[in-house]
Amino acid sequence: MNLTYFLSILVFSPLLGILVLSFLPKTQESLIKTVGFLATIPALVLALIAYFQYRAGAGLEQLNEKVSWIQFGDSGQMGNLFSIDYELGLDGFSLIMVVLTAVISTLAAIASIHIKKEWKGYFMLFLLLEVGMLGVFAAENLILFFIFFEITLIPTFFLIGKWGYFEKENAAYSFLIYNGLGSAVLLIVIMVLFARTGTANIDALMAAMNADNPQLVAPISENMKMGLLIALLIAFGVKLPIFPLHSWMVKVHVQAPPSIVMLHAGVLLKIGAFGLIRFGMGIFPEQFQSLAVWLAVLGVVNLLYGAFLAFVQTDFKMVLAYSSISHMGIVLIGLGALNEAGIQGAIFQVVSHGLIAALLFFLVSVFYERVQTSNIQNLGGLAKGMPITAGFLLAGAMASLGLPGMSGFVSEFMAFLGLFKEMPILAAVGAIGIIMTAVYLLRAVLGITYGKALRDFAGVTDMRKFEFVPVLVLVGLIVLIGVYPSVLSEPLTSTLETIMLGIGG
Amino acid sequence: MMENAWIIPLFPLLSFLFLILFGKRLKEASAYIGILFTLASLVYSILVLFDRFSAPTFKAEGVWLTIGDVQLTAGFEVNQLNALMLVIVSLVSFLVHTYSKGYMQGDDRFPVFYAYLGLFTFAMLGLVISPNLLQTYFFWELVGLGSFLLIGFYFYKEEAKAAAKKAFIMTRIGDVGLLIGMILLFWQAGSFEYDEIFAAVEAGAISSTMITLTAILIFVGAVGKSGQFPLHTWLPDAMEGPTPVSALIHAATMVAAGVYLVAALFPLFTASETALMTVAVIGAFTAIFAASIGLVQKDIKRVLAYSTVSQLGYMMLALGSAGYVAGVFHLMTHAFFKALLFLAAGSVIHAVHTQNIEHMGGLWKKLRVTGPLFLIGTLAISGVPLFSGFFSKDEILIAAWAHGNTVLFWLAVIAAFFTAFYMFRLFFMVFAGEARTDMKNVHESPSVMTLPMVVLGVLAVVAGYVNTPWFGTFLGDWLVEDNHALGHGHIEGPAWIMIVATAVSLLGIFLAWLMYGKRSLARDWLTSRMPLSYNVLYNKYYIDEFYSLTVVNGAKFISSFLRFLEVFLVEGLVKSVTGITSSLGRLGSKFQNGQIQTYGTVAFVGLAILVVIYAFTGGYLK
Repeated sequence: MNLTYFLSILVFSPLLGILVLSFLPKTQESLIKTVGFLATIPALVLALIAYFQYRAGAGLEQLNEKVSWIQFGDSGQMGNLFSIDYELGLDGFSLIMVVLTAVISTLAAIASIHIKKEWKGYFMLFLLLEVGMLGVFAAENLILFFIFFEITLIPTFFLIGKWGYFEKENAAYSFLIYNGLGSAVLLIVIMVLFARTGTANIDALMAAMNADNPQLVAPISENMKMGLLIALLIAFGVKLPIFPLHSWMVKVHVQAPPSIVMLHAGVLLKIGAFGLIRFGMGIFPEQFQSLAVWLAVLGVVNLLYGAFLAFVQTDFKMVLAYSSISHMGIVLIGLGALNEAGIQGAIFQVVSHGLIAALLFFLVSVFYERVQTSNIQNLGGLAKGMPITAGFLLAGAMASLGLPGMSGFVSEFMAFLGLFKEMPILAAVGAIGIIMTAVYLLRAVLGITYGKALRDFAGVTDMRKFEFVPVLVLVGLIVLIGVYPSVLSEPLTSTLETIMLGIGG
Repeated sequence: MMENAWIIPLFPLLSFLFLILFGKRLKEASAYIGILFTLASLVYSILVLFDRFSAPTFKAEGVWLTIGDVQLTAGFEVNQLNALMLVIVSLVSFLVHTYSKGYMQGDDRFPVFYAYLGLFTFAMLGLVISPNLLQTYFFWELVGLGSFLLIGFYFYKEEAKAAAKKAFIMTRIGDVGLLIGMILLFWQAGSFEYDEIFAAVEAGAISSTMITLTAILIFVGAVGKSGQFPLHTWLPDAMEGPTPVSALIHAATMVAAGVYLVAALFPLFTASETALMTVAVIGAFTAIFAASIGLVQKDIKRVLAYSTVSQLGYMMLALGSAGYVAGVFHLMTHAFFKALLFLAAGSVIHAVHTQNIEHMGGLWKKLRVTGPLFLIGTLAISGVPLFSGFFSKDEILIAAWAHGNTVLFWLAVIAAFFTAFYMFRLFFMVFAGEARTDMKNVHESPSVMTLPMVVLGVLAVVAGYVNTPWFGTFLGDWLVEDNHALGHGHIEGPAWIMIVATAVSLLGIFLAWLMYGKRSLARDWLTSRMPLSYNVLYNKYYIDEFYSLTVVNGAKFISSFLRFLEVFLVEGLVKSVTGITSSLGRLGSKFQNGQIQTYGTVAFVGLAILVVIYAFTGGYLK
């Protein structure tokens, strides 16, 4: 098999869909939806091939691609410095993120059946967004990463602003301003690094920054390193989001169409965690260590803040939004612990929450479609009219509150295992969040499904045909990770070793 | 046999999966699937138990998850305690599966009920063969899920919804204690494996403070699961679930899991006198506390629920008094007689369609099978000589006395008096005298329901004879065989203890008979003479009210405060960010006024700034 362009094909395959869509008349609803769905398949297949090849023992290096792209100055004089290559590659962690992205994209494309208007534009943006997301994880240098990062912003902005609910414009602008500022800060960090080291390649940067006698174009003082790391924290903290930078994402969760929220909560937020681990921890390991306590504190704050606020929301989508904030706290807790258990827990949480959030938001779209509300007070007894949906909703809640046998437990457990080793008191405070998670999720889910039926469910149908696909796939993956966590931990082994080596653990 | 014991929990799991997928089509035939699969578990469990009599402990494990250099394992272990628990759980589960075929007949969600029963049984069997704390925790949570689903089985009832939620949250509070204790223990002992933890404890590798702390934290988990004070309030509410569920989960198996956990970690607890004392005090207090509430309740299932809480307190007292055998022995006898009482109560409810004992009466003549069986259960729990409860309760009292817990001993004696009284009060009010309401269409339950009760009735009588001071302490000797950390198979105690225990239980029965059987004492003497204490007891010491006032309102207050913060502070931040952005934008657009002079000025000033920066920094921002 010729692997030269494997990753490029993987990343850019959704463009083919955009090309086909551009020739279709925009009234052909079912045809557009089918094409939109099919266009996500090649990336999925390729990602799965890569995953299984890797599990079977094939090295990921053979997927690396490198084409000379931009050269500043005279190459004879500068050597390899100040050149930007088009380079893609994967390690265990980014491979998993690519698989996650591909899976959730395909499922979100199925969930897009509930989109009511202008399907053609919707799917073109949707597929462009997928390219951006795949590229972010496959990029091997910071410049390329940034470009893909920006590619995700624009389609998301339009997808929220045009196909969302009542306050969609407001949510879209909130999204754009916050993320725009975040990426401006990120761009500054990237430029400083590039200017001072002469390279944007992530591996080269990691090596250059952590060598004993770094060969830099210009020196980087310890203080500046700290400053750069804090800037990175802000840039990715907006994305994750870290309290108090979260309010834009609550709006997006509530106002965006559920299929886009699946991508947003499932993948886009994860870029924040990915960036923190890959760049924060990878490029500034020493500084990261001295900030670890604060990260853990922020994690506990996120966890509790989100949980307590989710407890008093009346709209189920708001509950899920704050729940996402709370669950991202667990990522920070794991990173703050800065040991194997914690970091592995954080990565697990990234994947696990991606799957669970996608599942819950898909289920929201399923019942919203039928009862036109997601307000808990207007619902109740849904299990009477839609027993299957209600059952899966409960399963999603159980996964989210960390029931053993589902992925949420493994990640939560490892993150806390890690933090209890380093900061037991803080961890014990955080453990209150475990109780509160159960409290708010049961309040919300039982409020929707149990109790007296507040409405007549005659004529309301339960889940049907294709709606089963995303639900079954997601529940299957959640249970698989929960029961057999090695599917995730084994591909991560080498990434973790690299990280631990960096922080000297 | 033992090397394949892992298959025992899988049968009910298969039943669960099968019924979730195909139950709708099978309808009430689902019962046969459930019954057959649990029967398979039962048969296999019995074979394993017999195998264990002659062979040593068997343990097998594989890697479940690798974290750095640490490998977390999963597997199974068949030691004495596990083998015994396997039989108890699968037997009660099988009987309840059978009984439910009659009890749940006609329910719309009959297959779902059987599916949930299968899920629960799977988790419970998985729990009792876990060889390490992590796996125990894993199944510990899953039995909680099974319990939650079955309490909320009648999901359309608001009470059932509230009860299910309460059960899940209250036990989760305990579970967090367990989780923390287990993680701390892991970083001390370097493993979740029971034997490695015990080895570390024995080798003195863990400081005594840490042993006490972790043991108490783990006990918090047991308190939640076993409905011990102060986390007991969910258990009586759990009676909203169908009655067979109460028999299986909230009497015989899951609520005993807390006791099982303390027993499984017994060497850890005995290493700390403080931890043992905590267990004993909580146990004894719960025993008398719940028994006193049971004195005045009017709902047949709630009386039984409080008696369960009280009896679990007894078991904790036994374990806290270093009476390993006594605790496990009472766990076993209690499983039989309490499951019997619940199933018999279910049979009564099935017949009269009410749970209020004030509306019952005179059922002895109408329920010719249920009545005598209920009496057997009542005699057993009251500790009347020759019934199983007599022997196990005696063991507990002796253990408490021998360990020097004199105050707790007398508390337990008083609780035994209460127990005899309220159980016979219940019996007389339901079965003696005349019917107090119209009871025309009362029928005995079908044999599919009475037969399981008969089996339990026989066990409630004979189960005590495996461990008696008269004929030999077979169970005790076998349980502690090859394991000195568990103490002795039999603890010698003064003979008067047995006499006192018998006397108080007969006294309790006699008093109940005077008031509710013969009625020579007015039934309302307590109500009329001491309305305050009656109200306190009837309202369960107002603990629910207290919790809702403090904990629930506390959480709501924090949430409201944070929401305030969110609205004013965080939203304020948002507003200022958008404000700054748009005013910058406006400022910028002012320069775009079409006048060439402005453009020139802006360009020049910008260039000047850049030059200044360059001059000072040499091109780099330091």
